Amino acid sequence: MQARTSPKTYDVVIVGSGAGGGVAAHVLALAGAKICMLEAGGWYDAAKQSDMFKWPYNAPHRAAGTREKPFGYYDATLLGGWQVPGEPYTNARGSDFQWYRARMLGGRTNHYGRISLRMGPYDFKPYSRDGKGFDWPIAYDDLAPYYDKAEELIGVFGSAEGLENTPDGRFLPPPAPRGYERVIQRACQHLHIPCVPSRLAILTKPLHGRPACHYCGECGRACAVNANFSSPGVHIAPAMKTGNLEVRTGAMAREVVLGPDGRARGVSYIDKKDRSEQTVYGKVVVLAASCCETARILLNSKSSRAPDGVANSSGLVGRYLMDTVGSSVSGFLPILEDLPPQNEDGVGGMHLYMPWWNYQAQKDGKMPFARGYHIEIGGGRSLPGAGILGGSERILGGGYGVELKRNLRKIYGANVHFSGRGEMIPNEKSYCEIDPNAVDQWGIPVLRFHFEWSQDEILQAKHMQETFQEIVTTAGGKVLSSAGAERNWGISRGGEIIHEVGATRMGDNARTSVLNSYCQAWDCKNLFVTDAAPFISNADKNPTLTITALGWRTSDYIVDQMKKGNL
Amino acid sequence: MTNNEPQGVSRRAIIRTIGSAPALAAAAATEASPQNAAKPVYRRKVFDDRQWRTVEVLCDLIVPADERSVSASHAGVPEFIDDWLDFRKREDGNDVLASQILGGLSWLDGESNRQFGRDFAAAAPAQQKQLLDRIAWPEKAAAEDHRWVVFFSRFRDLTVSGFFSSKAGIGDLPYLGNKAVSEWKGCDPAVWAVIEKRLTEPRR
Repeated sequence: MQARTSPKTYDVVIVGSGAGGGVAAHVLALAGAKICMLEAGGWYDAAKQSDMFKWPYNAPHRAAGTREKPFGYYDATLLGGWQVPGEPYTNARGSDFQWYRARMLGGRTNHYGRISLRMGPYDFKPYSRDGKGFDWPIAYDDLAPYYDKAEELIGVFGSAEGLENTPDGRFLPPPAPRGYERVIQRACQHLHIPCVPSRLAILTKPLHGRPACHYCGECGRACAVNANFSSPGVHIAPAMKTGNLEVRTGAMAREVVLGPDGRARGVSYIDKKDRSEQTVYGKVVVLAASCCETARILLNSKSSRAPDGVANSSGLVGRYLMDTVGSSVSGFLPILEDLPPQNEDGVGGMHLYMPWWNYQAQKDGKMPFARGYHIEIGGGRSLPGAGILGGSERILGGGYGVELKRNLRKIYGANVHFSGRGEMIPNEKSYCEIDPNAVDQWGIPVLRFHFEWSQDEILQAKHMQETFQEIVTTAGGKVLSSAGAERNWGISRGGEIIHEVGATRMGDNARTSVLNSYCQAWDCKNLFVTDAAPFISNADKNPTLTITALGWRTSDYIVDQMKKGNL
Repeated sequence: MTNNEPQGVSRRAIIRTIGSAPALAAAAATEASPQNAAKPVYRRKVFDDRQWRTVEVLCDLIVPADERSVSASHAGVPEFIDDWLDFRKREDGNDVLASQILGGLSWLDGESNRQFGRDFAAAAPAQQKQLLDRIAWPEKAAAEDHRWVVFFSRFRDLTVSGFFSSKAGIGDLPYLGNKAVSEWKGCDPAVWAVIEKRLTEPRR
């Protein structure tokens, strides 16, 4: 028998424990709010579960990626990928969107690339600059103090460069570049492409009781000592210490429950343990389930009061979905052949990168596409796993035997890799909606995606291909893999870069946006979103740092409004 | 908002922390397990006995033992390839790769029998070399051998990556990482000096 007492009401219910849920829990718990957080996946503790230092030969198939573990056997994502068992999604005819989810405490922050780039002043007002897309309702100066706070808490290394639309931050010292990175930097100098220390959320000095990096190069496996940023280690653990945060794992949010006054009363969810339906009540509801999952929850929250879903009187929930433009080139640099041995692991990511450098040419109308990209680099003597030294005939011409073996040793680590990460302009043809037929194994209707690149993105990918190949040849190298017009310049599939943003856009007008400038639903004032769904544009600056800064700002606003009795 | 620990103290603390981390302990346990003693007998999933003999010979022709390391078959590469082909069948939902490899092995034996009257594995070293030289150099190969050139490139890749990702193969490579480093200093100045010298030389 269930007790007939009135249900417990938390101050705040947060859906999701990744970058957006983590920052909200951290700020709100430290401010004294009693919180219940719902996480659709299981508990995760990197100190116990990270596969740090393990060798690929001790894993199945040399730790190769699979459908279930796309980033390899040792990747931190325990349950997740572009396909999650029992939790499908569909694509409309002609679309091929790929939706990555990480069902675990901390979500994608456990394995992500830790790239932490501030959006710049232009990035908040792109429409004003080139007439495409939309402006944000806030400006860089509104978010700058929160970028400061976010960087000071999570720890980001970098260097002050003073580059256009590439704001410097509160940086820890950057790690010295690897040999191959310095070679690439030289080539970039010739081509007048800036190549500067990267900006990653990895500690190069101890911070808030967390140790500095030990440079094993495998941040994607999660860090057992908490030397890189992840939501469980940096946001959730301190929030739980306050005693104000309760986390319910295996809790698959279904919908936002409205009260008779039209305000959010709580969230109903499926408890995955016994498939029972539960409801948790709160004075404030924060959705941070990830961009598309947040849109899905709102669209599934249908009632007579909200026939098209909660917070959707504008009809814009799910609309203007964006991902990042990706395209890659790899090359072989003879100058790196047969060098004396050295450890090139470093941090789990690049030590140098190339921020976008053609702002003025674009302003002058000299570029065939709008918006820019940055270049991420890789290569060198990385951990030998599945596929190591594959395709060697492109370098050595073929062969076998003792001579081949000797030559392979020489070319190991002489490869370099370039990936462009560029801005997509929001368009009418890219959105998600509820599939009229399909449900997941919990009985919750699933998303159906529509996705299309525009010429701006495709021409950007072309520019990436041409630029990367030019860098390789300038460094005296040979291009090993590239893509031409027949493959749309190697442009990534929608969702492949895992930077979905924009499905519950913020704005300054209730008719043209879902959320106001504090990421508060226009239709439901005690409902907020702190993941990447409020984004108006998707600058080439990877979303996570902006999620944590914007989520902090939203959380501060919630605290302020609660204190004033407005929620 | 800065309560950074003093750096000198923390470095020891880190190594201690890492040393005591369960993840490391688990990893160390895996590494230390008596692999040879406990190693189960590998049960083949793809190759039959005749194919297996060819695979063992072919792997060692591609990656033989030398002064630095053992041969591919000693590093368990035939087992790796057998397992990999089975894995790709399941993962890719088709057997394109497995068929390419099995078909190529059939061609190799067929060609060896046509020319030398015996299977490839039983052919004399000079005969094996004669056949491999036809398909091991994509640019030099005859157009009609194209399919077998592609087969051999795939087989070479499997052998090479299987070998250099094995414990023996990693030991052979100039790879010095996958461990905790107390201070990251960037590119070794001695290595950079070699690079810089090459940068100033005329294009190689």
